Amino acid sequence: MDLLNALFSSAPWGPVRIGLHLAFGIALLYWLWLAYQLRQAVHLRHLKRPRGWLLPAAGIVVLAFIAIIAYQATWQLGGTARPRFVAFMQSHDRRQFNPAHWIQRGRILDRHGRVLAESRNRDGAAERVYPYGPVFAHAVGYADPRFGLSGIEATANLALNGSMLDSLDDWGELGRQVLTQSKRPRGQDRVTTFDASLQRFAVDALSAAPGGGSGAVLLLRPADGAVLVMASVPSFDPNRLQAGLFSARDPATPLLNRATQGQYPPGSTFKVVMAAQALERGFSGRLDCPADGYTTSRHYPPIRDHEYYSAQDAGRSWAGHGPLDLATALAKSSNVFFAQLGVLGGHPALAATGERLLFNRSIAFAGGASKALSFQTGRLPSIPKRDRYGLAQASIGQGRVTATPAHLALIAAAIANDGLAMRPRLLRDAEPQTLAQLMSSDTARRLRVMLRRAVRDGTGRGIDTDGLEIAGKTGTAENPHGASHSWFVGFAPASSPSLAFAVLVEHGGYGSAVAAPLARDLLLKAAEQGLL
Amino acid sequence: MAAKGTPTTAEETWALRRPERRLLLSALMIALLGYLMLLGARPKDGFAVQLADWAPLLVFAAAFGAVHGAFVIARFRGDQLVLPTTALLSAFGLLAQVRMGLFGETEPDWMELMLLPVALATLVLVALAGRAGRYAMARRATWFWAGLSLLILGVLFVTGQRFRGAVYAVGFITPTELLKLTLVLFTAGFIDQHLKALSRWRSLLPPLRRLWPLLLVWGLITALLLMQRDLGLVLILAVALLVMLVVGTGQPGYALYGLTLAAGAGAALISLFSHGQRRLAVWLDPFADPTGAGWQVLQGLSGMFAGGLWGEGFSEARPRYAPIAESDFIYSVLAEELGYVGSLLLIAVFAVLFIRLLTLAARARTPFGLMVTTGITIVLAVQTLLNLGGVTKALPLTGITLPMISHGGSSLLTVLASLGLVLAISDGEPVKPRAKATAAKKTKTSSSKAPADRKQRARAPSKGAKAGTGRKT
Repeated sequence: MDLLNALFSSAPWGPVRIGLHLAFGIALLYWLWLAYQLRQAVHLRHLKRPRGWLLPAAGIVVLAFIAIIAYQATWQLGGTARPRFVAFMQSHDRRQFNPAHWIQRGRILDRHGRVLAESRNRDGAAERVYPYGPVFAHAVGYADPRFGLSGIEATANLALNGSMLDSLDDWGELGRQVLTQSKRPRGQDRVTTFDASLQRFAVDALSAAPGGGSGAVLLLRPADGAVLVMASVPSFDPNRLQAGLFSARDPATPLLNRATQGQYPPGSTFKVVMAAQALERGFSGRLDCPADGYTTSRHYPPIRDHEYYSAQDAGRSWAGHGPLDLATALAKSSNVFFAQLGVLGGHPALAATGERLLFNRSIAFAGGASKALSFQTGRLPSIPKRDRYGLAQASIGQGRVTATPAHLALIAAAIANDGLAMRPRLLRDAEPQTLAQLMSSDTARRLRVMLRRAVRDGTGRGIDTDGLEIAGKTGTAENPHGASHSWFVGFAPASSPSLAFAVLVEHGGYGSAVAAPLARDLLLKAAEQGLL
Repeated sequence: MAAKGTPTTAEETWALRRPERRLLLSALMIALLGYLMLLGARPKDGFAVQLADWAPLLVFAAAFGAVHGAFVIARFRGDQLVLPTTALLSAFGLLAQVRMGLFGETEPDWMELMLLPVALATLVLVALAGRAGRYAMARRATWFWAGLSLLILGVLFVTGQRFRGAVYAVGFITPTELLKLTLVLFTAGFIDQHLKALSRWRSLLPPLRRLWPLLLVWGLITALLLMQRDLGLVLILAVALLVMLVVGTGQPGYALYGLTLAAGAGAALISLFSHGQRRLAVWLDPFADPTGAGWQVLQGLSGMFAGGLWGEGFSEARPRYAPIAESDFIYSVLAEELGYVGSLLLIAVFAVLFIRLLTLAARARTPFGLMVTTGITIVLAVQTLLNLGGVTKALPLTGITLPMISHGGSSLLTVLASLGLVLAISDGEPVKPRAKATAAKKTKTSSSKAPADRKQRARAPSKGAKAGTGRKT
């Protein structure tokens, strides 16, 4: 026994075991051959001659077995041709030696061919490496045998695994892999629309922003929906996934993709929506905006303009805006004006606007039919008919209305693209698709002028830069969790927009002071690359 | 050597049964090779190999050796291929079960170890008790078998416990396994007793007046089994009944009516049983709920895919990821560890067994023997196909074990008792000691026998010789 134990623990046992395995198979073959050889010797002469149905009956049994073993081959040997099966094994099979874990997945590249994800060999198993670490954690996602797939890794899984057998060569390759048992297909590479340097810049800027350094940036091309930056901070490192990340209730919620799923009060950026509604409904004229604000009932505190509060803080008095037209009110971001405008428009108009601007939806990115990669639009709950104060609050982007950065970027892109929203897309080869006409082209054209004015003369004048011609709307969204969220939403250049964006800095304070400069720096960086 | 079929001394039998011995020894060799592979992985898991670890293999070898010895001593002249095939399939079962740690991780579990010897003893008892035509006694006890079948179900109905969607009697024994033998015996006996009447069809109508007792018993059993949601067993038994009717009476019309009836009943049952519907939905799309309903079959398939063409060998793999791997899904464990090539060889062994059993059925001397052998063959073949089909996702899961390989005492006992009966039938009819002394006297000495039998006997040697030479050239 000791001898046997020594043998089993010794180094040569490996080859010996393989030899035993081989001998086992050969012995089985020998047994079958022997049984065939002895068929005459075991002939039972004392029995009757076989009845006529023997051959067909044996044939049926053999055929049934052949059918089953052939079908088994489509799983056991041709499993890579079943993408959902491979995905199942990659997510749920804990056998470390399962070849599904070794598959050399294709690379994920940015628009310049920089590697965002690739598979490398380590100790015989493929290891997924993300050179940018946390920078693309939400957008590119992860592919991990323990934790499954997310992001583009999930939506492009089929091509990345190379599990599409399109040609005879593909079948030949599968045959080679089966025989040598090295199931290591090189999957196809996927080129994304992302710009790695802009994305990294956005992530760094968000991390350094005031208020704890969390937030989101979405930057896309209005003409075809190509997303250049989809940043969400805080993030996690897909190279070092741990169970704790998925189980712990981390208050920083690093798993949450703030750009696509984060619902925030939009604050003054919602005034863009209200302005679009007013233009569509043919509003022209002025509304009086007194210093003591506007309220729907004396039981509710009046909604005032921010100039009133800054004057109060400085110990001065402020006379109010007086009568304002829409363009000026938007540039000055007058709460009093838009609260009145909303109540004037009424409940059904806001509900219709919400419907037209795609509130309360989940929208898939182009090219990925999977649910794994989509973004939520803002929430605009229906406001009870008698709740006029709620309507006034919603009209200035407070109360129960929320928006996601991706949604506001989509609205900005639609304004930049004559009212037509293109479906955002993350893969270069995904066909550009129209999503919806959010407003008439005339409304979009007039909004472009107004939003340019808001940066040139209005709340965003601090970031006006020669040559960039930025148009946009700041937002400072009050929220019950702390300091106001800082927003800046817009596009550039205003006359012929080539980029649209939404920037959110959680608890960053004034939109004009935090989010707007961040957006300007990002646009400067983009201009360096000739994107503007 | 002309008298090879009827040995008189133990030495003659020893020589006669040489092919069986050779095949048995080869099967033992295969078991030993696999066993060495198994033991080789134990130090890796942190267990040193002890002498006691050899117990399962030694018991296995001793049990099959003893069966062969008993056949030689008893001058048994029945089939020689069924026993070695059974041994080889049991060897696969042994390896897989040792692999799953069913015989105890550190100390041998004697209860488990004694299952195979007990079942093999039953096989020998049945084979020797029923040889030389004595198996025909079972034919007279037709209604005993029907009563026993109903009694088993009745007892189960009162005392049964539900576990994993099936009903078990006290102590996880599955007495319904026994139905696979008792019902076959009842059906064969009944058809044999009314053979003429059942073969006589009035144009397209079966003789329902003679058929109704059979239909009544079957209806009752089917209803009781369905109440316990054992759809798989109902399917196995129904196919066996139909084939036995067709083969016994030579009337293909039974199959026609039966298939129509089965298709209608199947559709009705599926719509009635949510249990069956779920199985069907999982079969059609296991990825709809991959971590729930589809988990088991997908884990099995994942293991097979991991095994690939050649497999990782015993104990390199980790088959415990597949739920209830030791019973229903044992085939996926074997396919994982031995690879596709291994599972191909295993299926070839199954094919050898079933072709042999069909041959024995096709050559049985009496209609009763024919129907019993056919019934047993069909039960085993359908059970095997349903299990393999379920595990490979070729068919919906029916929760049926793989004969001789899956773990399970009642199943093993039933299967080996059934095979014992087949062996007894293959032993043929009573031998007159003087009959083989001189071939010329044969017609005179057997004058006391029935004319039909005499005719057959007189014809047998010449025909056999002719057929033999004809095939060889």
